[in-house]
Amino acid sequence: MAITYDLVKEVTANLYDWSLRRIPESSKAEFRKALASETEPQARQTLAFMLDSAERAETTGKFLCSDAGVPSYSIKIGSGARMEGDIRQAIVDGFAELTRTIQPPLLRFVTNPLTNERSFHGKDMPLVSWDLVGEGDYLDITCAPKALGGGRWAAVEILVSPSLDEIERCVLEIVLRAGGQHCPPVVIGVGIGGTFDHAAKLSKDATLRPFGERNPELMVAQMEERLTRAVNQMGFGPMGVGGSTTTFGVHVEYASGHGFTPVAVSFNCWINRRTRARIYNSGVVERIE
Amino acid sequence: MTSPSPTRLTLPLTPKAARALKVGDVVLLDGDAVATVGMPTQKRMVAEVEAGRELPLSLRDGAFFHMGVSYEDSEGQPGAVHYVNPTTSSRFNHLMPTLIRGLRLTATGGKGGLSQDSVDAMRDVGCVYFSFVGGASALLSEGVEAVTDCAWRDLIMQFRLNRLRLGDFGPVIVAIDAHGNSIYERLMTSARERMPEIMRSLRPTENKNETD
Repeated sequence: MAITYDLVKEVTANLYDWSLRRIPESSKAEFRKALASETEPQARQTLAFMLDSAERAETTGKFLCSDAGVPSYSIKIGSGARMEGDIRQAIVDGFAELTRTIQPPLLRFVTNPLTNERSFHGKDMPLVSWDLVGEGDYLDITCAPKALGGGRWAAVEILVSPSLDEIERCVLEIVLRAGGQHCPPVVIGVGIGGTFDHAAKLSKDATLRPFGERNPELMVAQMEERLTRAVNQMGFGPMGVGGSTTTFGVHVEYASGHGFTPVAVSFNCWINRRTRARIYNSGVVERIE
Repeated sequence: MTSPSPTRLTLPLTPKAARALKVGDVVLLDGDAVATVGMPTQKRMVAEVEAGRELPLSLRDGAFFHMGVSYEDSEGQPGAVHYVNPTTSSRFNHLMPTLIRGLRLTATGGKGGLSQDSVDAMRDVGCVYFSFVGGASALLSEGVEAVTDCAWRDLIMQFRLNRLRLGDFGPVIVAIDAHGNSIYERLMTSARERMPEIMRSLRPTENKNETD
């Protein structure tokens, strides 16, 4: 048995479709907590409207947002996975077929950066990252489409032998620059160390972590808690119109590097589109999120 | 703690009705608005306005929103609405003052707000900015009764000028009023002022030691 072209094509297309119509369970839980703790009436009303709308989308199959987002997949490959056929092409073909058949239709948002021409396909589409992990006999696929509102505020700064304090200040300055523009309450992913590209990827991976899970290293977990509190003291609030719920969580990942320390920060908007499934060599598909 | 029930307003507003609104007001919208998310669209609008030409859809004294619209389009005429959702207005900061003044808009909207040049233009002509909740397409779309017209069909659907008939659209928040008040400016100024205190709060123990 093996993980086939056909199965990958079907599963990756479905993951994208599902992500457009339902927010993650851990996001719903954060909304309920925030509704209990947020003191600004306007912010509470906005949070309630968001959660109601998300529930409406889930029960009726409507889209959460008109910007379906650039298709983006993070794939973890167990060393025991056996693949059959062109798996990369399966993702391309699955997305192409989906854009022709999905209801309601998608708007054209895949943009050629050199001409600004928009279509449903383009160079390197869908965006896919591949990581080898452990000895598992599966592909673990997360789909997290990236829309314009959340995507445009990410940034990487390169510091030189910074203190922890300087790293945190750098993160907060990037967060301040974004203000409330990214459809808060957002998830904020922070990647520290490695190289420029590696820090950016860590930051993206950090946004994919469900709320409620802290980094296993105490020092990093404490940083996450400090930064989450600090961001929410800024006061931008839901949709950036005021309140104490600007982020549901700052998630930090790090890698060792050299004396130059990239600090990458990225955001995902409140609908936090993310779906995840595992395809095993046996052909079994396990839906995780 | 309970919020007052929102007022209903019919678009287009008169400048007087726009001036009667205050930052923070929560309203429901009925009536007529034009929506697009296109950068090329708004560049073309600016060119038309600067050349003194009328737009193919009348927008004078009207409501102009940064909002994506998806609808049936099989017969060359707009059909049933699929969904709508706001986009980030601030990316059009450089174009909006010309459009606000040139068209004497009485309402604009989207998400994320507009910069000071637009706030000034809005004060001069009597125009407000409504904040719509992004990502709440499922509920917001229920407030769009029809796409009644569209222009510039050479552009992709969400980039066209799409005229909408709204009914019970929202609730939406007056985030910039016609008196120079902007929630976005106020919150950014306040956040900047709080930053030193927020930074100190990250290291309460160390700071205490430093002052010992």
